[in-house]
Parts: sequence; structure tokens; C-alpha cells
Amino acid sequence: MPRYGIAIDITKCIGCHSCRVACQNQNSLESNETFNWIKHRDRGRYPSYDKEFIPLQCNHCENAPCQRVCPTGATYTTKEGIVLVNPKTCVGCKYCMEACPYKMRIIDHRRGIVEKCRLCIELVRDGGTPACVTTCPTQVRLFGDLDDPKSAVSVFIAKTGSQPLRPDLGTIPKIFYKRS
Amino acid sequence: MQESAWGWLIITYLFLAGAGSGAFIAAVACDLLAPDWSKALARAGSLVAGPLVVIGTLCLALDLEAGFWQPWRQVYMVNNLRSMISWGFIILSIFIPIALVYAAALNEITFVGKLAQKYITIIEIIGSIFAVATATYTGVLIAVVNGVPFWNTPLMPVLFLASAISTGLAAAMILAAIIDVNTIKTLSNFALGHVIFLSVEALVLMLLVFMSLTRSTEAAASAGMLISGMLSPYFWGLVVILGLVVPFILSVFEFLEYGQMPKALVVGADILVLIGGMSIRALIVFSGTPPQII
Repeated sequence: MPRYGIAIDITKCIGCHSCRVACQNQNSLESNETFNWIKHRDRGRYPSYDKEFIPLQCNHCENAPCQRVCPTGATYTTKEGIVLVNPKTCVGCKYCMEACPYKMRIIDHRRGIVEKCRLCIELVRDGGTPACVTTCPTQVRLFGDLDDPKSAVSVFIAKTGSQPLRPDLGTIPKIFYKRS
Repeated sequence: MQESAWGWLIITYLFLAGAGSGAFIAAVACDLLAPDWSKALARAGSLVAGPLVVIGTLCLALDLEAGFWQPWRQVYMVNNLRSMISWGFIILSIFIPIALVYAAALNEITFVGKLAQKYITIIEIIGSIFAVATATYTGVLIAVVNGVPFWNTPLMPVLFLASAISTGLAAAMILAAIIDVNTIKTLSNFALGHVIFLSVEALVLMLLVFMSLTRSTEAAASAGMLISGMLSPYFWGLVVILGLVVPFILSVFEFLEYGQMPKALVVGADILVLIGGMSIRALIVFSGTPPQII
């Protein structure tokens, strides 16, 4: 069984938010809802100033704090390692939103349940790639099987020494970042 | 990205569940240890315990979204015993009926009360265990959240338990003063309870702040927000001065002057303890800062 993950090359991100729009389109979200974000960070001072854009989304942690605190067991991990919320059993207690150290979950007030990045599981199971990966004009994201050493994403992570966000938190994320 | 998913409903719940279970403990302590001093305090404590926890639990239910509109979803609430909410669901389901039966027993309400009176000691022992469990669990609920480093410390449940006992005693004393004006003199005996538990609370709060300042950047940011940042006027004003120092001094005098203290000051000290208990919970929730991820 594959273990899916994404490598993100933040040196290529231009902050255009195409990934956000593609995600909203794919998951039929409202304009104020999204499963991915782009955060800005200033680096250095003039004249060696640079602005960094950091695309963020659910890290599909292997040791997911959100799954541990969910009272109803609505948050679960699929056999491909994708962390999902079962909309039928979620009660909307928002404990998972507090527990997520990355704050990557949102509450859908219309359905009263917590929602998050699904790594476009329906596309992925048909052999495709998530919408945020396909749509990116500068190909910031690489999607693939982290367990296959020959996959483009594994090769990229090995070559560039990409790291997940805050690996010290012990959540074992599956989204890797190449920083300059 | 949302900074805090929980707001006033959860804060009110944390406060009321604490005060309710504290009032139960105060009532049991009064009934077992000093039944001749004040029947009114034991009765008041038992009367106030159940309803406070029930109102708190209603706030908790109101904060649910799908689980509130479609209550049958709540049957799933015990699915994951690694989740503190599952444990809370179990603890509250047991404690609420016990607290209500105890109120009926001490106040001889209906045949249920008369029947329960025969088993009063068993109700008091089991009820106290679940009262401590309720008060402690409200602290554990947020202490296990590693998404907010400031909360993620074993001091949190200790602080919540100490605060629950002092706010519970305060709630019981206020109702005791209302139902029996003559009891105001005997309430001075219980001022010692305030002196003890307000001291414990102040000590644990001090430890929490000092430890947080060195524990991690995020915990330090939260603690900084309380002692010198945006929330510091509320922290020093509502929690430290009005919630701890003033009621502590009033309680010392209340105990020393035995029964000579004006009624307004006795009840005033208790109201201040309640304000402090609510404020400390609100400030802990609002000062929670997630880890710096980028």
C-alpha cells in the first residue's frame, strides 16, 4: 500500500493562491473556506531582503494529535495514510482544531462538522494527483508515494534534504518543505 | 486558519463544572466533618452542585455543532477512550445524577430524597470521587492539548481542582447566606477553607506562570500575554487582586473576627472568588498560543 505525501519547494512559490482556488473548486468550498493557505514571511533586511511564501495544508501526520483527541473516532487514517473526518459521526466539538499544532482544520458551520484537506482522495484513488498539485503554475508541489524510493517525491526529498514543519513536535508529518 | 476554536461557551462550562463539583465537595465535607456547625452550608452546597454542572453541560452541548442539531450523534461520544471528551462524557453522565440525588437526600425532596437518605454515606463517598474527577478532568481536557503548549502541563489540572474547590465553596456559601440569614456567623468557620484553597490556587498559578516562561517559546508568549501583555490588566486586576488577594484578606479577617464581619463583606468575598475563577479560565483559554510553525 502506498504512503502518500507531498514535497513543497517554497523557493518556487510566487504566492498566487491558485492552489487555494483549485482546492475550493475541487471540494465545493465557499469563498471564505479553504483547506490550504499561503503564509508570508520576511527574510533578511534591505538590501538583502526577500519575501518567502509558505504554502500550508494538513500534514496528514502519522502520529496525528487530532485523531487522538477525537471523542467519536470520526477522525481516522486511511490505509494510504490520509487523515480524514467521517462526516456522519463528527459532532463538531472542535477538540481536534485545538489539538492540531498546525491549526489546519476548519469548522463547516453549515454541516456542523470539522473539515480539512482530504489530499483529494477520490482523485488519488483513480490514479490522479491532488488539485493543488496539478494546478500550481510553478510546480511547487510534488505528490507521490513516500515508501517508493524511486518516486519523484522521494528522490526530491532525499536530494534536497526537505524537512517537515516542526518535526520536533513528534507528529511525523507527510508534507515536506524545501527551504532556501 | 483559526487561532482558537473554543470561546465563551467552553469557558463557562469549565467554570460551572468546576464550581458545581467544588460545591459538592464542600457540602460533603461540611456534612461529614462538621454537621453541627452549619446544616445550611451542606444543604446549600448540595442544592447548587447539580444545577451548576447541568447548566455547564448545556453550554458544552450548545458549543457542539452537528452533535447539537442531531443529538443522536452523541452516542458516538464514547468511541475513543484516548480522548478526554469521551472520559468527560462518562464522568458527567455519572456525576450529574448523583449530585441531583444528593441534593434531594439532604433537603428531603420527594420520595427519592427519603429513599436516598438511607444510603447517604455511599452517595457521599462515590459522589466525592466523581466530583474530584469532574473538576480535575476539566483541567486535563486542555492539559493534553499539545496544539497549545501553554496548556500542555500537569499543573493545569491541579490549578483547575484548587480553583474548583474555592469557587464551589464560594457558591455554597452564597446560597447558604441566602437560605438561612442566621448562618452567616457559622460561615466564618468555612472562611478557613477559602484561606487554604486560595493559597494553593495562588501557588499553583505562580508555578504555572514561572514554569511557562522557560518551558517553550509559545508557552512563554502565553504567560507573557498574561503578566505583561495584552491580557495583563485582566490578569492582575480580575484574577490576582480581585480573585485571590482581596478574598484571601477578607477570609482571614472573617475567620479571626469570628462572626463579626458584616454580611455584605462575607458574601462579597465569595462573589469575588467566583469572578476570579471565571476570569482565570477565560484568560487561560484566550492566551493559548499555537506553536510557531513557519
